[in-house]
Amino acid sequence: MADSRLPAPIPGGVADHFWTDAALRESLRARLLHSFHQWGYSDVLPPAFEYAETFDSRANPVLREELYRFVDRDGSLLALRADMTIPVARLVATRLHDAPMPQRFCYAGSIYRYGDTRAGQQREFWQAGVELIGEAAPAADAEILVLALAALRDAGIGQAGIDNAGVGHAGIGDIRLAVGHLGFFDALMAELSLSASGKDALFEAVDGRSDGALHKFLQGTNLTAEQRAVVAALPSLSGTDYDEILDRAQSLCLSDAMRTAIDAMRAILAHVSFYGDDGARSLYVDLSEIHNLGYYTGLTFEALTVGLGYPIASGGRYDSLIGTFGSGQPAVGLAINLDRILYLQQAAAPRSASGPLPAHVLVGGEADAAFHSAVAALRAALPELRVAADLAHRLDLSDFTAFAARVMPWLALWFDGECFVLSEGSQFQAQSGRLTISEVIELARTHMTSHAQRTAMTPEADGSR
Amino acid sequence: MTSRSRKAPLVSTDPTTPDPTTPDPITVAPITVALPKGRLQGETLDHFAAAGLPVPGDFGRRLVVTSPDGSLRYLLAKPADVPTYVEYGAADLGVCGLDVLRESGREVYEPLLLPYGYCRLALAGHVDRPDYPLRWENQPRVATKYPRLAAAFFRERGVNAEIIELSGSVELGPLVGLAELIVDLVDTGHTLRANGLAELRVIMQSQAVLIANRASFRLRSQQIQAILSRLAAALPLDQPANTQ
Repeated sequence: MADSRLPAPIPGGVADHFWTDAALRESLRARLLHSFHQWGYSDVLPPAFEYAETFDSRANPVLREELYRFVDRDGSLLALRADMTIPVARLVATRLHDAPMPQRFCYAGSIYRYGDTRAGQQREFWQAGVELIGEAAPAADAEILVLALAALRDAGIGQAGIDNAGVGHAGIGDIRLAVGHLGFFDALMAELSLSASGKDALFEAVDGRSDGALHKFLQGTNLTAEQRAVVAALPSLSGTDYDEILDRAQSLCLSDAMRTAIDAMRAILAHVSFYGDDGARSLYVDLSEIHNLGYYTGLTFEALTVGLGYPIASGGRYDSLIGTFGSGQPAVGLAINLDRILYLQQAAAPRSASGPLPAHVLVGGEADAAFHSAVAALRAALPELRVAADLAHRLDLSDFTAFAARVMPWLALWFDGECFVLSEGSQFQAQSGRLTISEVIELARTHMTSHAQRTAMTPEADGSR
Repeated sequence: MTSRSRKAPLVSTDPTTPDPTTPDPITVAPITVALPKGRLQGETLDHFAAAGLPVPGDFGRRLVVTSPDGSLRYLLAKPADVPTYVEYGAADLGVCGLDVLRESGREVYEPLLLPYGYCRLALAGHVDRPDYPLRWENQPRVATKYPRLAAAFFRERGVNAEIIELSGSVELGPLVGLAELIVDLVDTGHTLRANGLAELRVIMQSQAVLIANRASFRLRSQQIQAILSRLAAALPLDQPANTQ
């Protein structure tokens, strides 16, 4: 290399997204937001940083440790947005508390957590999600579960038919929603009245599904026979046969609070089944799922799919969080991890090398008033068309053939009235005679339509993916 | 991930696979098990065979081997890498030592302790070192292959140890003046004694453990639970029974 300068480095855990990657990211973002809008959710754009205290007193210890903190010029301690739910809760509690409920919000943006970069999660990562605020009914929990499923399907995950045909998306498997309820475990903990270390030991045993650790906990703890029975059964209270699991859990309940949690689960799952078979088929009940970002109080869930060893979406009910800012409201929400979906899409359909978003038509010629009015006419006639102007008059057919054949389904060059069309990876072909603007528009329209038809038949052939 | 070509022979050879006309992407692929190369490899295969699970006869030079009936796929990994393969879901299940798992800090499920690979992670020093509380140490130099566990052990006692990470022959540390203490696995203690060292504290008891990817455990629960219950049934009686 003639140029020996080092590239300007960026900190660990963040990435530049550009060309095809950025285009895919933006289109996924738009698609997810569109799904949320279809369900009646409105956009919210929380600030990128807040007072650190806003997160500190509401997040779990792990999330607290992962805050990016810095000092504002007035000396107050700030933190980068480490979560979307807490800022939305703040907004609703302090400014929208007297607006009509329920309130539905959706967002898509970056989250910053200063943690070890771990499986599928960098320090800046992207989330798209919703918050449904002011509705305590099980129907609200069910809406969130089914919306998670619907949005993931819209994003191309686990589309029925594609996997079974074995075509294209072999890596993107079906979705499973692992659903738990923190009320059950929290009420059990309340019954057991354990020491702090006992609580930790039980939490770790259940969280790790570790029979050895659970056995050790039971040996070292004084519990009644009834209490032992629930604790020992915890890891087995999970599976797809959720009626059986909830019946068994019901028979083990030690308190009304535990029974309330089971009843709530039943009501939520019944509501999910009202949406059709798809939701019910995806459910996996897991009463040993006790992960908590710090504010969950009831339903919690994770969306899982074949091909990825960690969740692609998660969420839950948080009935106490909004009240910590003032006026309380029940609420439930979900967050989808965009980076993980993009990873799945890439793994499923390996694409050609990344490149800039190419134009469909490149117009060359003397850049005068006539030139620009022709370009403008082309853009106005076909809003979907990407038209680039060759401002520097550099147009060279041979340069473009190799590049365009790689990234473009079709490309037209219109140069001083002469028009050349490249289609389906062959050579540029000159169109007969000099074309007028309306002839070029017609030509572009024909190519767009026939390309759209081909794309509809074979989705993975879409050059823009 | 699951390619068409890998599915095809499986459907015809595995009698437990559901009706091949409706391939379910969640259940048709084999369960992948990450095995630790070396010390635990033989005992793990013996235990799997005793539990009636299909095991490969010989890996030869291959790193991935599918069992003859296609239901299990084994991959051979460096022991310290087993938790990584499992956390990312590159393997659904894995076997490693508890010491390696805790050192890795990886987020996986650990449903079953296995009855072999017993050893302890211990703090050792010169035989003639006087015994006094470790919290009296100022900033001891500790050589180890387990930097996270060693640092945490001292931190719990309010001591910020200087951790010197080595990748083997840790006993050399005190002999040549690199470190005054070591944290290492101890089985019989012969190596320590032969090098003029003595065990000072036990940091943790270790044994082999079956770990599972958190997503696979729930996505493919039927197959994984079937494997777990077979492995649990093959445990000696004094082992805690699998509660499932």
